[in-house]
Amino acid sequence: MNDLTPNREERTANLKGMGCARKRVEDARFTQGQGNYVDDVKLPGMLHGDFVRSPYAHARVKSINKEAALALPGVVAVLTAEDLAPLNLHWMPTLAGDKQMVLADGKVLFQGQEVAFVVANDRYIAADAVELVEVDYEELPVITDPFEALQSDVVLREDLAGQTEGAHGPRKHHNHIFTWEQGDEAATNQVMDSAEVVAEESMYYHRTHPCPLETCGSVASMDKVNGKLTLWGTFQAPHVVRTVAALLSGIEEHNIRVISPDIGGGFGNKVGVYPGYICSIVASIVTGKPVKWVEDRMENLMSTAFARDYWMKGKISATKEGKITGLHCHVTADHGGFDACADPTKFPAGFMNICTGSYDIPVAYLGVDGVYTNKAPGGVSYRCSFRVTEAVYFIERMIEVLAIELDMDAAELRRINFIKKEQFPYTAALGWEYDSGDYHTAWDKALKTVDYEGLRAEQAERVEAFKRGETRKLMGVGLSFFTEIVGAGPVKNCDILGMGMFDSCEIRIHPTGSAIARLGTISQGQGHATTFAQILASEIGISADSITIEEGDTDTAPYGLGTYGSRSTPVAGAATALAGRKIRAKAQMIAAYLLEVHDDDVEFDVDRFVVKGAPERFSTMKDIAYAAYNQAIPGLEPGLEAVSYYDPPNMTYPFGAYVCVMDIDVDTGVPEIRRFYALDDCGTRINPMIIEGQVHGGLTEALAVALGQEIAYDDLGNVKTGTLMDFFLPTAWEVPNYETDFTVTPSPHHPIGAKGVGESPHVGGVPCFSNAVQDAFRAFGLRHTNMPHDHWRIWQTANKLGLHD
Amino acid sequence: MELTDEITLKAPLAKVYAALNDPEVLQQCIPGCEELIQHSATDLEAKVVLKVGPVKARFSGTVQLDVSGAPEAFSLTGQGNGGAAGHAKGGAHVTLQERDGKTVLRYEAKAEIGGKLAQLGSRLIQSTAKKLASKFFLKFAEIVDQDVSASLDA
Repeated sequence: MNDLTPNREERTANLKGMGCARKRVEDARFTQGQGNYVDDVKLPGMLHGDFVRSPYAHARVKSINKEAALALPGVVAVLTAEDLAPLNLHWMPTLAGDKQMVLADGKVLFQGQEVAFVVANDRYIAADAVELVEVDYEELPVITDPFEALQSDVVLREDLAGQTEGAHGPRKHHNHIFTWEQGDEAATNQVMDSAEVVAEESMYYHRTHPCPLETCGSVASMDKVNGKLTLWGTFQAPHVVRTVAALLSGIEEHNIRVISPDIGGGFGNKVGVYPGYICSIVASIVTGKPVKWVEDRMENLMSTAFARDYWMKGKISATKEGKITGLHCHVTADHGGFDACADPTKFPAGFMNICTGSYDIPVAYLGVDGVYTNKAPGGVSYRCSFRVTEAVYFIERMIEVLAIELDMDAAELRRINFIKKEQFPYTAALGWEYDSGDYHTAWDKALKTVDYEGLRAEQAERVEAFKRGETRKLMGVGLSFFTEIVGAGPVKNCDILGMGMFDSCEIRIHPTGSAIARLGTISQGQGHATTFAQILASEIGISADSITIEEGDTDTAPYGLGTYGSRSTPVAGAATALAGRKIRAKAQMIAAYLLEVHDDDVEFDVDRFVVKGAPERFSTMKDIAYAAYNQAIPGLEPGLEAVSYYDPPNMTYPFGAYVCVMDIDVDTGVPEIRRFYALDDCGTRINPMIIEGQVHGGLTEALAVALGQEIAYDDLGNVKTGTLMDFFLPTAWEVPNYETDFTVTPSPHHPIGAKGVGESPHVGGVPCFSNAVQDAFRAFGLRHTNMPHDHWRIWQTANKLGLHD
Repeated sequence: MELTDEITLKAPLAKVYAALNDPEVLQQCIPGCEELIQHSATDLEAKVVLKVGPVKARFSGTVQLDVSGAPEAFSLTGQGNGGAAGHAKGGAHVTLQERDGKTVLRYEAKAEIGGKLAQLGSRLIQSTAKKLASKFFLKFAEIVDQDVSASLDA
């Protein structure tokens, strides 16, 4: 080698592979307004659809008069359930095994439900025509409370009348959907009965909404000449949409092309299949023209999938010293008018059975009852794996309540109950096998960094000062330690509508040594084009800058189950690494041929293969790529391509330790976040800068949910938070400065040891913010108060505790 | 939503009561009222254009009167539908009391609103309702009191 040859370190740096804080390649277009979203799709002759929606939460639809609307110049069609019925598309299957009306079939079950679809040659005309459709409703009694629903004689789902068996077993009542039980209830009760200490608490995890900045929408274009349907849409799972569209429409799957272009945030909201998608497809088939449907903000908040709405009742038992002996949890889950939860088929309450958290709890039970109400359908995982936010909030509140019961420090209570490092792989009482973890190290690092003991001392002083009348501000120290469960599959456990939850990557190396890789996932802001190229760069020795990542077009990308539940890195990331290794295996043979040695005599070295023991004899990946296409190599096919479909052997279990320090003005109820420290362990770190960005975003959505974001209904079923005036989206004004930190405990079963991180900060953040608020009042006797902790509710808490007297 | 108020009118009770039952007077007083048809002594039908914040719509509705306590008291219930803008229903109990030749009118009104009106207007609905009520009675007072003044002049 001469002096001009870059050394190993330089060559590694040039790759911009794993561990590199590489700038996001997608930002060049996003920051310059050059993104291409669904609403940017404009086709010649394109028509626009808009919905007539129900103003009532529960009503019979007696008649629909389209005449005035059809008479408006520019209106092309007005579709109702009657028009869709001959195609059998007036109802559609939901992801949860239920069915949902595409357009109101005789009655409406929630405010904002789709009643008719107006198609016009202009978006504004469509909106005007919506107001001209006369619908005659007969009001029916409204039920917005799931407990009332289970008592009421009012039958919400008349289409299910007499059906005592649902998609997930027996139905106990005409408004009951399913009961899902996990663990051993008898054994749990036995432990509770003889326990030294039992703490009980009921908590409501309020209904909220992912509220991505880009609302849901689609453009359907049926080409009647070649019989092909092209569907652009805000889909977090484009391949699933194609399969579902094929099954529903009868159009053969090869004639359907689904494209998810740039997506402006999903957070779970864009996993489901919505009536708008179906209506745009039908309208395009009927009119022979492209039809666009894009919902507005109010429609997004009141009709496309909500999150949470879990009434959780918990019981936790322990010894006097604080060793937890059992956990009992019952959930009444409000699913709204249709069960459209987006969970793997066998898990009607998602992975709520991760509710034993990060603790070694010998016995546990979880029961979940799903209930119909007159609220919008949904129940998606808003920036979390399936129902994991609910589970982690539940256990992290139960720990705090137990600490109060035991009169013990909540940090210490956590420490003595953590699953120990040597216990991994650890099988929890509710069945999950945690792959790896080192909770004590993370916890100790977090507490030390924030000077936990100093904070507690300061807090105690503050309480005394408050009592002396020297301050009106209380101090809260919020703690949370979470374990997520992400990366669904495995296929044997996890499917959606029968489609196994694997994922995929296909790589083509070009002759000049650059590459394109296509995946079954779809970025909604996560930066896949940046990070997947980094995985590949490290695996195949081609610079990340020379690798294009493409997703979202079902005609070109390999089949995959999409992006949600932090599954992209654990599943598609693994497929990427394994496809890369197939490339490398063939590259090794080519290198050996070029270097005229045996295959076993060459080894991979960053961006090349070198002859073992003679590093001056090498063949770079560029040389190898060129040879692969242009040199006849005996016994080898030309070309350098690979595809991998990855069915994960297990899920991954990222974890983290968060601390929030908050000062609360008891007279105004305003919380001020003084410090937020987030330690995340997501296993191998692919791009530290992207991780930090994900943590900031997830924490901000956690702040939103904990401190004010909710979908609230009044007794008549009116959505009271249908605009961003009332629905809280934090801005720079409310968001504190976050400190991020990490430990690294790789996943033992993942090809690169990565675990996924996009949702962790939300999962851990919500209980952390909530615990901080509640902790501020612990010295004054508060045990639990429900989120969201907006100023008014915090003020009420202070008031009830007599702090205004 | 609940609304209560008390106002004093210069006109005597009988006159106020008669005016409250006169569709022509009512149509002049109800803000945005385009049409008021009396089907019977106790049944009315109305078309009203209403604007609450960003929502503006034409409401068509019916009103039923309960005059069993007349002329000192009467109740009304009604409902209106504004199509895509939403809907409302409610009622009011009105009492009239004569004091020194003047009439003291008290009312207690309750209303339930739904649809877009409730979603967008929840912050505005109470203040809008108050504004509409005060507009109504301002105009009403103007009409009945004017009649009184006119008759005094004559």
